[in-house]
Amino acid sequence: MRILMPSLILFATLLTGCSKDGQGTTASNGTEAGEDSASFKVALLTPGPVNDSGWSALAFEGLEAIRTETGALTSNQVAQGSDIKESMRSYAQKGYQLVLGHGFEYNEPGIQVAKDFPDTVFISSSGSATAKNAGAIRFYLEQSFYLAGVLAANVSKTGTVGMVGGPDVPSIRSTFKAFRAGAEASKPGTKVLEVFTGKNDDVAAARQVAETMIKSGADVLIHQANAAAQGVFTACKDGKAWALGANLNQNDNESGVVIGSATISAKAAFLEVAKLVKEKKFDGNVVQLGMEKGAIDFVYNDKLKSQIPEPALKAVEEAKSNIISGKLVAPKDKF
Amino acid sequence: MMDLASILRYAAPIGFSAVGETVGERAGVINIGLEGTMLLSAYAATELSLTTKSPWLGLIAGAIVGVTTSLASGVLTINMRQDQVVVGTALNLLSFGLCGTLFERLRGATGQLLSLPALPKVWGGIDLALVVLVLFAAALTVVLVRSDWGLRVRASGEYPASLEAAGYSVNRTRFEAVSVGGLLAGLGGAYYAIGVAGSFAPDMISGRGFMAIAIVTFARWKPIWGLVAACLVGYFESLQYQLQMTHQDVPKSLLIALPYVATLLILIFSGRGTNAPAALGEPYKGMR
Repeated sequence: MRILMPSLILFATLLTGCSKDGQGTTASNGTEAGEDSASFKVALLTPGPVNDSGWSALAFEGLEAIRTETGALTSNQVAQGSDIKESMRSYAQKGYQLVLGHGFEYNEPGIQVAKDFPDTVFISSSGSATAKNAGAIRFYLEQSFYLAGVLAANVSKTGTVGMVGGPDVPSIRSTFKAFRAGAEASKPGTKVLEVFTGKNDDVAAARQVAETMIKSGADVLIHQANAAAQGVFTACKDGKAWALGANLNQNDNESGVVIGSATISAKAAFLEVAKLVKEKKFDGNVVQLGMEKGAIDFVYNDKLKSQIPEPALKAVEEAKSNIISGKLVAPKDKF
Repeated sequence: MMDLASILRYAAPIGFSAVGETVGERAGVINIGLEGTMLLSAYAATELSLTTKSPWLGLIAGAIVGVTTSLASGVLTINMRQDQVVVGTALNLLSFGLCGTLFERLRGATGQLLSLPALPKVWGGIDLALVVLVLFAAALTVVLVRSDWGLRVRASGEYPASLEAAGYSVNRTRFEAVSVGGLLAGLGGAYYAIGVAGSFAPDMISGRGFMAIAIVTFARWKPIWGLVAACLVGYFESLQYQLQMTHQDVPKSLLIALPYVATLLILIFSGRGTNAPAALGEPYKGMR
């Protein structure tokens, strides 16, 4: 009987490990045959589980693209706070040539760990510090959030729009600033509400915030809430408001209220970096990727596009071409 | 601003769990695994309501999962007399892992935004589950004080030897109380998914189980006060969202902390002496 408790705890811990690391193991099954120091190995660290239908999920799609296109052995893990450096070191020790960290919080640790592991390249999504074998991919999501803001302000009948955020972190604040800038520039006097739930995937909190905003007159909402997004969409459906998707294309959500999505595609960027690293051509830099490279986009929901008034479509189109030509620079924070 | 139905609805997951946990703690068993129980039940409710298209079957599934997990941890804490905190922590870890793994297997590695069938509203924003919650809270408050069973439960939490001396089984009483706790925690989790969120995410309970445990103390081990306290926290939560919209210049993190700070302050100023069951957290070894 005394042995039962420890073994139960051990079993529980194992299972927890499985969920965080699970896809990593399955994903690598395909290339298990070539597993040795010789093969190309790529690891991904995410701030949350990759089943979040959002920020971490899109990174996992990028990792999957690396696995299928370059035949790399891939692995992924959730790593936050003090675990970040440890995870990076452990992958580097296992001979991974590329460690991707999906967020600005992986930039500094990457630079520090890079000194000890010259044969491994550390890349973070966002961040500005670089080293010989460390750098960053800066996704310019603010561009499509700016466009979303333009659209929201032009579609809104009440002149009030809202932004529902999960945790109050710099990357989310920066996209919200761009959304606000787009809305206010396109329709001066537009009221932009901003609320953070403070929690990662709290669906109920996101729904409550969205309901509160709709009650205060908002009729177009955008979110940065990953897996909690459904709460925002459901509230919009109930409150007869429009919603905007973020990170992934969420236009076909069951609620039927998502008129467009501000999307990031990590596939192309991750693949490009992976190929550079594989050919040992990476030299430590920050790659900024925006609309002009196709990594960022704003996609309309074809089923609802007919309900968007013509001037709104025109305003978005104009801002979009100005952004691509460089005439218009969407605001973004430095982090 | 004061939409009582909405506050009750959003407070209900914590409310259910806190009312149930009160009964368990009154019998001397603390369930640290509440968070995990809620998550497991929420996930069971999610999958079942999606397959059957019935929100009611989802709630029932959640309740069954709640009772089952509480009985399982009861075997460890009551029969085998293991440390209740350790067992609860293990239960949490097990639940997080199990839910995450199952969710990925069934819904794909990158997850899925699910939309669950909603409960019909009977009056204003109130649905039947909320009526059940209020009835449970009221009934259990009376039962704990007035009935024979309530007396046994309290005895098993205060001075279990007296219960045994009177010819009753402490373990049996504790099992009964713990399964009431599990039933309500299961309903709380299931109601979060079906009645409140209308969706599921593996990370969504966000500490509500731990809040429920804190609220039991806050409410001085009285079921009805547990529900009131949950609503109070819920009120501060909705107030906080309002303030974020009207006072955009105040740092968000300060406002996000408001419900917790408020709870803590009330706890400090309302707490004169302690009413904690004397044998809370202590495995009963028998009179011999």
